Amino acid sequence: MRFDLSILWPHLPFLWKGAVLSAEVCLLAIIGSVVLGALVAIARTSSAKPLRWLALAYVDLFRNVPFLVQLFFFYYGLPELGIYIDAFTTGVIALSIAGGAFASDAIRSGILAIEPGIIEAAEVSGLSRRVIFTRIVLPIALRTAIRPLGAVLVNMILTSSILSAITLNELTGSGRIVASDTFRPFEVYAVLLVFYAALTYAVSIAVNLLHVRLNRGISQDVA
Amino acid sequence: MLKAENVRKVFGSTVVLDGVNLSVQPGEVVSILGSSGSGKSTLIRCINGLEKLDGGRITVDEFDVSKPRELAEARKRSGTVFQLFNLYPHMTALQNITLAPIQVLQQPKAEAERKARALLAQVGLGDRGDAYPAQLSGGQRQRVGICRALAMEPRYLLLDEVTSALDPEMTADVLGILADLARGGTTMVFVTHEIEFARQISNRIVFLDKGKLVVDLPTAAFFSAKGGMAVPRIAQFLSKMRKD
Repeated sequence: MRFDLSILWPHLPFLWKGAVLSAEVCLLAIIGSVVLGALVAIARTSSAKPLRWLALAYVDLFRNVPFLVQLFFFYYGLPELGIYIDAFTTGVIALSIAGGAFASDAIRSGILAIEPGIIEAAEVSGLSRRVIFTRIVLPIALRTAIRPLGAVLVNMILTSSILSAITLNELTGSGRIVASDTFRPFEVYAVLLVFYAALTYAVSIAVNLLHVRLNRGISQDVA
Repeated sequence: MLKAENVRKVFGSTVVLDGVNLSVQPGEVVSILGSSGSGKSTLIRCINGLEKLDGGRITVDEFDVSKPRELAEARKRSGTVFQLFNLYPHMTALQNITLAPIQVLQQPKAEAERKARALLAQVGLGDRGDAYPAQLSGGQRQRVGICRALAMEPRYLLLDEVTSALDPEMTADVLGILADLARGGTTMVFVTHEIEFARQISNRIVFLDKGKLVVDLPTAAFFSAKGGMAVPRIAQFLSKMRKD
């Protein structure tokens, strides 16, 4: 067999458009799932029982249903109720909701690992609950949670390839079109492999940098 | 005035504080002594609102700590230093000290930092403002903890066994700073096992036993044969502590 990437030249702009779309969806879904995950983690560590129960129900539900089924439900099921959402928005929302369920667990474990005395010190100094969460709880929780959270985000990027199933021509969707146009699936999917690896690798590097930054001052180098 | 009236606190079936009355006037140093489990730390935790009362009332300058609306004001008037320091591990010493003054007292950042550096210099840490807690020794961490409480300019400083986690040398450092504060007129409620030190700096000594306040006496009277020492439980406690 031949391996000839040049046959992809005419299709590159099309593939590039798909790649940009994938990157956009992933970026928005990363933000969405981290925000949602943080909110759900707060709810799960809250003292209000109904809130804890609701959050647990959400996490259990979305972790135990295949992503493809969730996606079809949002895209093909909801219009039955008169709710129409375009494929791009559906993709971002579905990824955020599914990713948020996993992200919340990573963040929650980080919150539970915080020394209670540290939060008590913040409470007695009169800081508001919002400031305590954003300036103390979240940064300390993320010190330990950032790596498992990174794994969740990488997994979400990989999952984004499923969005082609609801007519969204992100990279995998575009790849399938080009592959069937050119009858050269080997070259097309080889390019996709490299692209997804690059995208997840970039996220891994960002997570590593964040991990180093969040853990500044934790080493016992002086003293 | 800081005032506890008939305070009762229960954990499960254990009565931890049983009808405790205490009042502290501005400028006073009051030490609370007692065995482990006598309720000393719990009393501090009730004063700063970390524990809910099961009975009675605590007011800090007339602000009732049991009322959510008044708790914030009460907390502004008291500062707490903890046994295990409880510094924010992701912030430098300076950031630990300035966070609450900036966020709660709305001090401009520059002013808060200037005051924090002055406090750090006062406790001999003038050059460690940019160090993270993990880069400081236990004694240094506790000194930062004291600065953090003082930065809020509290009317009452609550000290909960602040030297219990320190070795003797570091303990001496921290006690030296507290002695300076006492001389400077800082009002303190001092829960401690450092009996000799309590004797040196306190105006009054309170003795708790099994959640009950046994005596509340001026320091000299507490250590006199006819005063505190006449109470068998106190004589026993003091002789045991001194043997250690």
